[in-house]
Amino acid sequence: MVAFETSRFGPIEVQENRIIRFPVGLLGFPRLNRYVLLDYKDTPLKWLQAVEDPDVAFIVTDPKTIAGEGTITLGDDVVRFLQLERDEDLAVLLMLRVDGDKVVANFNGPLAINSNRMVGVQAVVERA
Amino acid sequence: MLVLTRKSEEAFRIGDDITVTVLGIRGNQVQIGISAPPEVRIYRGEIYEKIKAENIVSSGLTKDDFSKILEKVK
Repeated sequence: MVAFETSRFGPIEVQENRIIRFPVGLLGFPRLNRYVLLDYKDTPLKWLQAVEDPDVAFIVTDPKTIAGEGTITLGDDVVRFLQLERDEDLAVLLMLRVDGDKVVANFNGPLAINSNRMVGVQAVVERA
Repeated sequence: MLVLTRKSEEAFRIGDDITVTVLGIRGNQVQIGISAPPEVRIYRGEIYEKIKAENIVSSGLTKDDFSKILEKVK
């Protein structure tokens, strides 16, 4: 078990195999390399909580939750980075945030996770 | 900042694993080739800064923000 503190949810204890490693971190957070995906209130949204910083947690969702925004194309670099062998091992999460009255999804920086190896990376998608 | 001057088709190395080659120069545009191992992530500077700024805002949302977002996506 891994026990750590969070500012939003108090102390948390999870099985080691629920830790998702981000070897190069997320952009702007290069030294936070371990995260846990937390369900919250039985909703399609989840929190991606940093294990190593109690204050850092992202609101994320499956892209299918957000209607009508087309497909997300990930580059070969992401596939290589994740050492992805089977398509079904790939999970994609989008970060959501509020901007005044609007909800903004970060389509430029989706999170790609190899759910078999529990390794993730923030992809960089340059949309035309 | 280290400043190097290179001609077209000349390269420089960053450590043992990364090679940056100037492929061509046209007007005010430079075409650059980068060879690096897969664990080295390469981004255009401006998109890196954009996503980094979004990440920083997104990292500090509250449970209230969560509820607001949930209302909108439901």
